[in-house]
Amino acid sequence: MAFWFELVATGLITGGIYALVALGLNLQYGLMRIMNISHGEFLMLGAYLTWLGHTVLGVNPLAFLPAVALALFVLGVAVYWLCFRRIVRTAPAVEVIEARSLLVGFGLLFLVQNAAYLMWGADLRGYSFLAEPIEIGGARLMANRLVIFAFAVGASLLLLALLRWTLIGKAVRAMMQSPVGAQLVGIDTRVLHPLVFGLGLAMAGVAGALLSMVYEISPGMGEPYTVTALIVIVLGGLGSALGSLLGGFLLGLVEAFGMHFTSLSLKMLLSYAVLIGVLLARPKGLFAR
Amino acid sequence: MTRRDSMLATLTAALALSALPWLMSDFALALTLTCLMYAGLAVSWAMFCGATNYLSLATAAFFGMGAYVTAWGADGLPYGVAVLLGGLTAAAFAALVGAAVLHLRGAYFAVITFGLGELVRHAITYYEKAYAGTVGRVIAEPPEAIPIYFAVLLLTALAVLAALAVRSSRLGLALRGIGSDEERARTLGVNTRREKIVAFSLSAFFAGALGAAMAVRWTYIDPLTVFNPFIGFQTVLIAMVGGAHTILGPIVSALLFSLLTEFLRLQFPYLFLSLLGLLLILLVLYLPGGLASLIDRWRLGARWRRWKTDA
Repeated sequence: MAFWFELVATGLITGGIYALVALGLNLQYGLMRIMNISHGEFLMLGAYLTWLGHTVLGVNPLAFLPAVALALFVLGVAVYWLCFRRIVRTAPAVEVIEARSLLVGFGLLFLVQNAAYLMWGADLRGYSFLAEPIEIGGARLMANRLVIFAFAVGASLLLLALLRWTLIGKAVRAMMQSPVGAQLVGIDTRVLHPLVFGLGLAMAGVAGALLSMVYEISPGMGEPYTVTALIVIVLGGLGSALGSLLGGFLLGLVEAFGMHFTSLSLKMLLSYAVLIGVLLARPKGLFAR
Repeated sequence: MTRRDSMLATLTAALALSALPWLMSDFALALTLTCLMYAGLAVSWAMFCGATNYLSLATAAFFGMGAYVTAWGADGLPYGVAVLLGGLTAAAFAALVGAAVLHLRGAYFAVITFGLGELVRHAITYYEKAYAGTVGRVIAEPPEAIPIYFAVLLLTALAVLAALAVRSSRLGLALRGIGSDEERARTLGVNTRREKIVAFSLSAFFAGALGAAMAVRWTYIDPLTVFNPFIGFQTVLIAMVGGAHTILGPIVSALLFSLLTEFLRLQFPYLFLSLLGLLLILLVLYLPGGLASLIDRWRLGARWRRWKTDA
């Protein structure tokens, strides 16, 4: 019993982080058709900021979360302003926006990742934070993992609530349903787009900050998370926030069980098989009505 | 230039390049080989993706499959046969996969083609570990440098010729029709499904054959090297920076990229890649049609000036 509990818990904890990363990416894609392939690099920046805050300034990583979120939000608005504004404005068709923003995303990926290599080198960095085991119902789990799970789910739910109940959230949802209609009723894309892009990067930054509490970090850590986030988005459906949350947990569980019952080298094979199976059978996502 | 002129120019260039092994140092020849490989990959990628506006990230998958055909057949197969077989394997895979995924568009298509590449890579890794008991394979007797050079040169020249032939054929027209409006093309009687599968497989053939031809250069082959997503990304970048709707654009940008990579990447790896990223962003923002659009712009300007002096 405790064994099953441990396996499920492991899956859910990874899944929580996946969900958080995917939510931000999905919001950007759903609203602006920007497939930001450099999403993971901003996750990495969040991790390094937290690491610096903890080792240099001595700040508690959890207390540092809001600062990381704010910094990445500002960075996101700036990146949108410098790079994506022009694409969205000058592209003749949605497909062109997708293609060009993908290329700019690659550019950002190269730029940010290698700038990080220049600045911090390729060594693994890390610090120890709440690394003591806790027993729940006979299962042993690390305290820091439980903390990052709680915060990942908390941040995700906060974002969902924001989308559900605030005016901005309503504007975002309207824009996703019908960009033209939303503009007709006076929703301003020039405000909403940078705001949501910044919000997406803030989510990535928080995820990175949380990951730095458990794993060692390196400039290349972001890329696998981008790929996983893409899988999660496809599972949950492009543009669906709730779908991303559920898809994240699902993928986390699939990975945890797959890894346990088969072998470690099958983990990615399994993820991609799930991705391709879902895309072929239900191209609109698992939870599409 | 008409199609005949372009084809003649391609043949002349290929003939001129075939003299290089006797004129150049080993280093320069290796550099030329990389240039040719990327030119071939980018041209064959643009053949399908440039015309149809589909963004395929499967190049690494085709390339790697070709390389593994060489690796598995290294003991018995002659080099030329392995190259041909590598291309055909990739083409068959592309046809099979294309039938299943070519109804997807935009980001979905990009994601699933990338995922397929990774799926093949992980499947081969798993197979090799579980059944062959190795991670990589050593090619015991690689061919000489000159046959490799000629194989890659031939494949690249064929890719350019095929792209030229496709561009002015019914297939090319159908592909461009799909690119500008797929619904309309279908309404006008184009069998979009068939045309897409044919063109996708053709472009995969060259990627696979180039992979098979280049594989022997590494002498040690493992999935991470030959399925390196960087090969796929770089191909897409080269084609789009050059101008994916043209044929000359990708060739020119393949040359620029390979030279830049060779000279800067080894000395300043991180700085070089950062600058590459910045360059890419600036190009997409301010020159979205690629380098080829510079020529268009220049031509348009010349025509405008002529028109003004005539008037």
